Parts: sequence; C-alpha cells; structure tokens
Amino acid sequence: MGTERKGTEAVIHRRLRNQICSSNGWVDACCAAEMSVKAFELVPAVARELLMGDKARINIECIECCGKHLYIGTNDCFIHHFLLEETTTKGTLSYSVQKQLVRYLGLKKPVDALKAASALERLIVLCDSTLSMVDMVTLEPVPSGGSKVRGVAAFCINENPVNGDPFCVEMGVISARRRTVQVYMLYEDRVQLVKEVTTPEQPCAVSLDGYFLCLALSSQYMILNYSTGAAQDLFPYDSEERKPIVKRIGREEFLLAAPGGLGMFANAEGVSQRAPVNWSESVIGAAVCFPYVVALDEGFITVHSMLDQQLKQTLSFRDGHILQDFEGKVVLASTKAVYVLVPLPLERQIQDLLAGHRVEEALTLTEGAQRNIPKDKFQILHKRILQQAGFIQFGQLQFLEAKEHFRTGQLDVRELISLYPLLLPASSSFSRCHPPLHQFADLNHLAQGDQEKVQKCKRFLITYLGEVRSTEGANGCREDVDTALLKLYAEQDHDSLLDLLASPNACLLADCAPWLEKHHKYFALGLLYHYNGQDAAAIQIWVRVVNGELQDSTRSDLYEYIVDFLSFCSNLDLVWKYADWALQKDQTIGVKIFTLRTLAKNQTKDQTGQINPDDVITYLGKHNQALLLYLEHLVLERRIKKEKLHTHLAVLYTDRVLSLLAQSSSMDAQVSAARDKLQLLLRESNLYRVQLLLGKIQDCNQLLLERATLHGKLEEHDKALHILVHQLKDFPAAEAYCVWGSASRDAGYQQHLYHLLLGVYLDRDIPGSSSTGPGGSNGTGELEMAAVDLLNGHGEVFDAVQVLGLIPEGWSLQLLRPFLGRALRGSMHAHRTSQLALGLARSENIQLHHDRLKQRRSPVLVSDQKGCHLCHNTFSEPDCVCLPGGVPVHTHCAAKRVVPDSPIKRQLANTSNHT
Amino acid sequence: MPEFSKMRKPDVKIVILGDMNVGKTSLLHRYTERKFKDTVSTVGGAFFLKQWGPYNISIWDTAGREQFHGLGSMYCRGAAAVILTYDLTNWHSLAELEERFLSLTDTANHDCIYAIVGNKADLTGNQAQQVAGQDGPTEDQGEGGGVNPPSACPTPPASPVLLSRVTLNKQVSREDAVSLYGRILRYKGMDESNCLPADKMCFETSAKTGYNVDALFETLFDMVLPSILRNRTEREQSPTVDLEDHKETGKRTRARCC
Repeated sequence: MGTERKGTEAVIHRRLRNQICSSNGWVDACCAAEMSVKAFELVPAVARELLMGDKARINIECIECCGKHLYIGTNDCFIHHFLLEETTTKGTLSYSVQKQLVRYLGLKKPVDALKAASALERLIVLCDSTLSMVDMVTLEPVPSGGSKVRGVAAFCINENPVNGDPFCVEMGVISARRRTVQVYMLYEDRVQLVKEVTTPEQPCAVSLDGYFLCLALSSQYMILNYSTGAAQDLFPYDSEERKPIVKRIGREEFLLAAPGGLGMFANAEGVSQRAPVNWSESVIGAAVCFPYVVALDEGFITVHSMLDQQLKQTLSFRDGHILQDFEGKVVLASTKAVYVLVPLPLERQIQDLLAGHRVEEALTLTEGAQRNIPKDKFQILHKRILQQAGFIQFGQLQFLEAKEHFRTGQLDVRELISLYPLLLPASSSFSRCHPPLHQFADLNHLAQGDQEKVQKCKRFLITYLGEVRSTEGANGCREDVDTALLKLYAEQDHDSLLDLLASPNACLLADCAPWLEKHHKYFALGLLYHYNGQDAAAIQIWVRVVNGELQDSTRSDLYEYIVDFLSFCSNLDLVWKYADWALQKDQTIGVKIFTLRTLAKNQTKDQTGQINPDDVITYLGKHNQALLLYLEHLVLERRIKKEKLHTHLAVLYTDRVLSLLAQSSSMDAQVSAARDKLQLLLRESNLYRVQLLLGKIQDCNQLLLERATLHGKLEEHDKALHILVHQLKDFPAAEAYCVWGSASRDAGYQQHLYHLLLGVYLDRDIPGSSSTGPGGSNGTGELEMAAVDLLNGHGEVFDAVQVLGLIPEGWSLQLLRPFLGRALRGSMHAHRTSQLALGLARSENIQLHHDRLKQRRSPVLVSDQKGCHLCHNTFSEPDCVCLPGGVPVHTHCAAKRVVPDSPIKRQLANTSNHT
Repeated sequence: MPEFSKMRKPDVKIVILGDMNVGKTSLLHRYTERKFKDTVSTVGGAFFLKQWGPYNISIWDTAGREQFHGLGSMYCRGAAAVILTYDLTNWHSLAELEERFLSLTDTANHDCIYAIVGNKADLTGNQAQQVAGQDGPTEDQGEGGGVNPPSACPTPPASPVLLSRVTLNKQVSREDAVSLYGRILRYKGMDESNCLPADKMCFETSAKTGYNVDALFETLFDMVLPSILRNRTEREQSPTVDLEDHKETGKRTRARCC
C-alpha cells in the first residue's frame, strides 16, 4: 500500500525547518559560556509529515544510512526509503529529502534493525527475530538461498572484515534464546554460518571488528576472539539496569557505556588507551566523530572531546531515540523525525574557541585534527592558530607563552612590531595579514592607556626581537627588525643600543637618525652614521657633543673616543680636518691620532688611509709637545731607521735639556729626566748625526757624559774615556762605557776597550788631569785603585800577558792576587780543555777507521727488487750509499738527507753488484 | 606539548590505585603541574603521558569511588607498576588497599612493581609539614587530596573551617605499610628475596607540600625501564606491521626535508 507514494517529493525549506524546531521543541542549549564550543549543528532531515503524518502510534524503530540512501524502519512494519541531498545556501547547510519507496513487510511487528550491504545491494532486515534481505532499490524480498536466520536478538556488520572477498559481508548475530553468538558470511546467493561461540551469560549487544567480538553480557562486557576462542573480561555492567552500548569506533577499538555514566574505551586486548568521558547515566546511543564523542540521552545530545575528556557542547533533543553514525555522518532520530548532526567546520570551531580566549583548547583541537587534514593544509592552519593564540596571550601579557606560540607558529615578526606605533620604518612594505590575527589596533588600544602595560609590552618586544634577529625568522625583514629594535633601545635607554650599532645590523639610517636625535642618543647616532659609511657626519655630531653644543652623557670620554676613531679613520681629509681641533684640546692625547695609526708596511705603495710621517712632522711643527711625542713614537716605538727622524729627536731632546739648564728655576728631577732620555737615545741610536749634536753640546760643560757617548759613537774611545775618567771621574760610568761600546762587537774589541781604559787609568802624563794638581798623589792613587779594581773585577777580559807589561813595578802581588789567580786558572783551564778535545778527536778517528774496515768486509746487497730506505723507490743503478748498519740508499737520497760533512756519511761507490 | 603527547604511543603504563579521598589525583597533579590545587572527585579515570628520556610513560589516575570499582582491573591490564595509595591519617584507607584494590591488580603484568604510598604526610606533623598546617582534612571534599585550598594561594579565604587548625594523628605507621607490602608479595606468589625490598617500595608523600612526590615517580620510572625495553623489543619483533608507526616515521623524515 505504500508503493503508491512512490515519487512523492518533499523539499524541506528553511521555513518548514523552523516550524519543526519549534514544534519539536529542540533548541541549542549550548549557551553556558564556559563550555561553549559549537562543534555540531542539528539539521532536520526527514520530517514527521513524510513518515506517519499525524498517526500518533507510529514510531521510528531504526534507521540506516548508506551514501545518499536513508532507510527508516517503523513499528508498524514499514520500511521507508529516502534520498538525502545536502544543499548549502548562504553557508547554511540543509537537507532535502526525496521520498522513494515504502514497503510493508506484512507483519504486525516492528522493524528492529536495518543494515545495508551495499556491495550486495541488499538491505538486511531484522524483524520478528528473523533476519531477511530485501533489495536496496526495490525493497523486494530477496531469497537468501536457504533458511532465514531466526531467533535473532541483535546483529552487527563487521566493518573490518577478515574475509578478503568484497562481495561477502560478515555478520555477528546474537541469539535470542541461547547463550551464543554466531558469525555469518553473507554472499549474494547464500548465508553461511562460520562460527558459533557460547558465552557465559546471555549476550545483549554485539560489535565486531576482525575476529574480535565485543559483547555486552547481562552483567559485564567482554571481548571474544571467535577464531581462537580467547575471551577477555572487560568490566562489570548491569544490562538490566541500563542499556549497554557496544560501539566500534575504529580498528580494534570500542566505546562502551560504563557504570557511573562513563563512556569507556577499550581495545581488542582489553586495555583502555584513552581516558573515559563522563556522560550521563541514561545514554541511549553514542558515536565518535573525531575528535568528539557524541552521546544521546533522554533529553540531550552531549559532545565530549576525546582530547581532553571535557564536555564541549550540549544540544537539547527531546524524545531522542536513535543516534548512529554512518560513514562519519551522525544521524539521530526521535520517535517521529530524523535529523543529521552536522559538524561545523573545524576552523570555525577553533576560531570560536579563540574568540573566547580559550587558547589551550583551540590548540588541542587543532593538533587533534592533524590526521584528518592534509598535511600542507594542516601546517598552514596550525601556524595561524598558533599565531592567533600567541596574540591572545600577548594581550593578556602572558609573554612566555606568547613567545613560544609566536616561535612555533613562525610569526612574521612584523605583525608584532606593527602593533607598536612608529616602530616599523616608513619605508617598510609590510601590511598586516588578512584576516587579522588579533583585534588590536595598536599597543595603546591593547593597553587602554595603562602605561605600565605599555612598558611591559615594550620590554617583551625588546627581548623577543633580540632573540629573533639572530634566527632565520628575521630573514627578509632584517631592516624592519633592527630598526624597530634600535628605536626601542633608544627609547628605553637600553644598554644594548651601542652593542646593536657596533655589530652588523640592518638599521635604516633615514628612519633611525631622527629617532636617535629625538632621544638625544648622539653618540649612538654617530655610530649609526659610521656604520653607514658617513664618518664625517659621525665625527661632526660627536665634536658637537664634546664642545657642549649637544647633550649626551653616554660616554664621558668621548674626546678620547674621537681621537681613537680618527686614528683608525681611513678618510685622511677628515683626519686633517679634526686633528687641529683634537690637538688644541690636548696635545698629548691628540697626537694619538697619528701615533695609534698603523704605518704603511710598504712605503712605496701609496695606500689610501696611510699618512706620510714627514707630513705629520711638518704638520705638528706648531705643536711642540705633540711633535716630540710623535717623533718618540716613530723612533723609540716603531724603531724607524731614518737619520732625519733620529737627528730631529736628538736635537729636540738636546734643546730641551739645554733650555732646562739655562733656566735657573728648573728642578733637578726635570733635568735629569730630560738628560736620561737624551742619553738613552744617544747611546741606543746609531743613526743621528753625531757631529751636529757634538757641536751643539760642545760648549756645555754640564753634558760631559753625553759628550763621551758622542765620542764613543765616533769610535774616539780615548777621548770618551778621558772625559769619563779624568773630567767626570766616574769610574763605573767608564766601565759601563766599555761594556756598552763593545756590545755587539767581538771579544777582541771589548778587550781593546778595557785595555784602553786601563791605559787611561795608568797614564800619568795627562796634562790638565786632576792628578797633577796639588792633591795629585791622591788623584793618582784613586786612579790606580780604579785600575786595580778593574783588573780584579773584570780580569777575564784582559790579556794577562799584556797587562803584566803595563802595571807599575811597585804593585804588590797581593794587590793583584784575584786578577792573577783568575788569569792563571783561566789559562790552565784552556790548556786542559784543548787536551781533552784532542783526545776525543783521536778516539773518534780510530772508531771511524774501525767501522770502515768492518763495512768493507761484508757485501752490500743491492737489487732492483730492493727499495731505497729513504725514498722507497727501487734501485736502477748499482751506485748506492751505504748508511751505518749497511743499509743501502740512493746516492741522491743520501745527499739530500745527510748533512754534507757528517762523519757518518761514507760513500761506498762501485760496491760489488749482486743482482 | 601535552597535546601531541596524547597522540604518541605509550611505552609503559603505571596505574595509581587507592580509596577515594586519599589524594591520587593530587599526587599526579603535583608531579605533573608542580602545584597543589583543588581537585574534584575523579570520574572514571584520566591519564597523563610523561616523557621520560626517550620513553613515554602513561600514568593512569583512577577513580577511587566504589561506583567505578569495576573499571579498575581494566586500567591495570598490562600495567608495569601500580601505585597503591592510602591516606596516612586514615587507617581504613590502608585496609581498603588489601581488601578492595589488590585483586584489581590481577590483570597487571606478572612482573609488575608495587609501590605503597601513604599520602597527606603534611598532616602528620613530620618533616613534610613545611607549608601545611592551616587546614585540616575535610572528608566531604573531593576525592584526591581532601585538603583545601591550594597552598599557592597567598591569602586563604577566611573560613572558619580553614582557620580552625586541626592536626591529625598519624594513623598508619610505616611498619603497617611494610607488612602490607609483604602480604602483597605473598598474594602475588612472589618470592620476597627476589623482589624489590619493602623499604624501597613504601613511600610517605605529601601532594600538598610536594614532599617525596618526585622521588616516588622518578624511582618508579627508573624501575620500569626494563619493562619498557622489553615492550620495545617485543614490538619490534612482532610480525605485525604497525601502520601507524610507519606513518609516523614517514612524517618525521618528511618534516626534516622541508
């Protein structure tokens, strides 16, 4: 009788849908702000009108959905067939249903269950405890090739079949009367019982995955492997009290209703791998729609997340009767109508969570959905969510978390910089991403005028940018990052400002210069100019600071810094330009411009940035002190060997000494310091013009020591010693002169000088010498004593025989005892040493003779198979050299290796050849 | 990230069992979050994945309520260690371990390690009482901890209950726990001389002050390492191709390329 309705068509419009809503009385109940995620939307599919009209007694018993086909079994033994079409209008999804056939099964019993076997194009029907099959399209009964399966309480289809045949459907069947579970294979033309297993109690619900039967018995759940018979008790459950749920949710994993209103997960091994969800006591049906567990009870649909077990959404649903998922589509039925629970797009759920500042949940949901989204799409989504999450936490000043999310989300750091007014350079091409990652206009908007907040955010950005600029994250926007960082440093008076400018950076000059000026960071501004190659501008700024025109206390030693800077500056015009300024301020410091400068290694190449010392000397003419320092630098430190410089310095020294001597007010210390310098130069240098200086000090009787030195330079040792001994009477100086004068000369020269000195000491005929004066005897005695001391003290340098001829007859042996003793001992030592050497040489000679004889006695084997021990090549000629021990080597190898006059080398040419 | 860790396959399982209100959730929370906070009575169970060196250890926190008792043996299935928790101030909670919870561990691994943990040491006036002292236990509060409020709270809400300073006497001595340990080994038919000694396996902790909590978990982690290694080798030797594992490694290598 239902077939007449074939082709009746009904499209549910939105208007109608609203009517259903109000008539059926369901409303979204997910209004509690704490838990609201809108994960699903309930969309009507088949309205009451299409099924039973206003016949109150007729109820929906079961549903089956397979692709677009929707089958509904009713309690009056009808099967209704609909086609279900999704339509989306203005982003709202709705279903239009097309009524197909209606078939009456001819009994007065309800249709208990329907399952589609789409491969066989069959619909399996459970009615009156009997399984039968009808065609999916015509709903005509199909003979099952044998007896119907009777006495069935419940059945299930194996969604993870063990049989490889695609045209075979596996079925688990619970017997109504016996404590057994049967497994059937359903073919196109027959139904085959594969296995029958007995259970300890009456089973009441079954689910099948592979060989695993998950069963609800009357007092507990269990897992049964029907192939091996292995059983695994899960946990107790009173099936009388509450309807058990056994729901396969994935490969070898089941969802079970547990006592206390729990949804428990259990795998085939009987282990729970996920924490349970807490739904209500009276759950009728449940399904998993990842990452959610959806459950239906008497009044509500509850949505729990499998990721954190929390209740996420509650939808009111009265008269709920069935909740089942078909290939991911969750379909619900009240007793009168059918609805589809449509998941909202994941992104929208996540955005909703973010809008509620529920960062962790949003991230959990995103990451939980990883396996449901293509990888590239997931990465983009994940990054964006991380960035958004970061901004939310940033807005809440949770900087640590924000930073972590920015980092993992690979945030374009300019998004963050752009929040801070004026930080991005004017030239930056950056524009914020769309749709925006956050709702803040800028930092002021975020902080709502709270300056402390602003400061905290700024400090955060400083640390963040500091970390980012050293990573790849700053690639492509280094200018923006560094400029922003510089501005923040300047504004916050941060110490790292100078470090930033002193190290490689990408700060934009045009943008930063006004900013630094505004914050009076003139020193830093100079550094920035310098970094950008504008040294002139840099120095100009700094000079103005030193001169007090600008105020910046960054460096108290800025003047010294400028001098140092100029000493390295390669722009010579700039050096000359500011040298005068620097020298006027302080000659001793200013001269460092030149003294710290490295000199050209190769004077012939006129390298840029190199200053000719002559130019400097000419330039420094007006700055005496600086000139002196500069010459000292060249001569004493750089050890430049130029007569002109040495003479110039010596003349300057002399002039200074002379002028100090001329001034009666000079302090002794000053004079002696000046003289020390002069003396040192005169002694150490061999380059200055001696005659010139000698002429300069000839008339000054106070500079006798200097004169003696100059005479020494001219090798006029007698004159020099005469001055030292007779005029200065400074015997230690005279001895020191001998040492100095003979330094870097051979021993003979030294002996010569000492003999000269001895001669001067012993010379009695010196006219004008103080010894001839009235106190002459004293003076002579003094000289003689000096001579004795000299001999006794430095006996080793004298030729004893010569000395014996020189010393006066009257001197006692006792007087010269130390000298004579040492001379005697020395001579004896030399004699014995030579004797010893002679003996050793003789013995070596004999030894070598012995070796030679020994070598000649035995043959030396040389063959073209044998290698030379030095180069490891073979011998091609009979000529060879035999090393001690009889090792033959090439003659050229031996020549290369052995020192020419080594005693071990012996040529054994033309030795007998034994090849 | 903990979100990711939920996706990873745990290498080994540790289960915390014990009567309600002994502080199972608080113990786990103290260890994982480093703080003590209010917990509500655990429903069903929850678990936490701990990265311990290269291994993932899942720690299951169970519900102590009688109502969920039936689930216990399922949680224990395949466990490498079971933490039997009691309340030091409540003798009954120790007795319950033997009467009610011991049989649940029948499903655990044959070489499962048992630790006996007396919690709430801060209430017994021993050295764990550094922070505690303001409040007494209130039995009507949520399961787990049974003490209120979070110790981190700078100004505890002024409630008469909290201000009345109750110190409870220790009801369970260490010797009681040690002898229970011995009985457990006998129940399991294990030779005491081959097992870990009782003085190493009986702990007194305070989830509130953190006393001995890290020591408890980390001692156990070290002890279950052999189990982990055995699980790993079993998994490697298993002829079944683990598609999920393969997918993961594939992902990892691909991620490295880009």
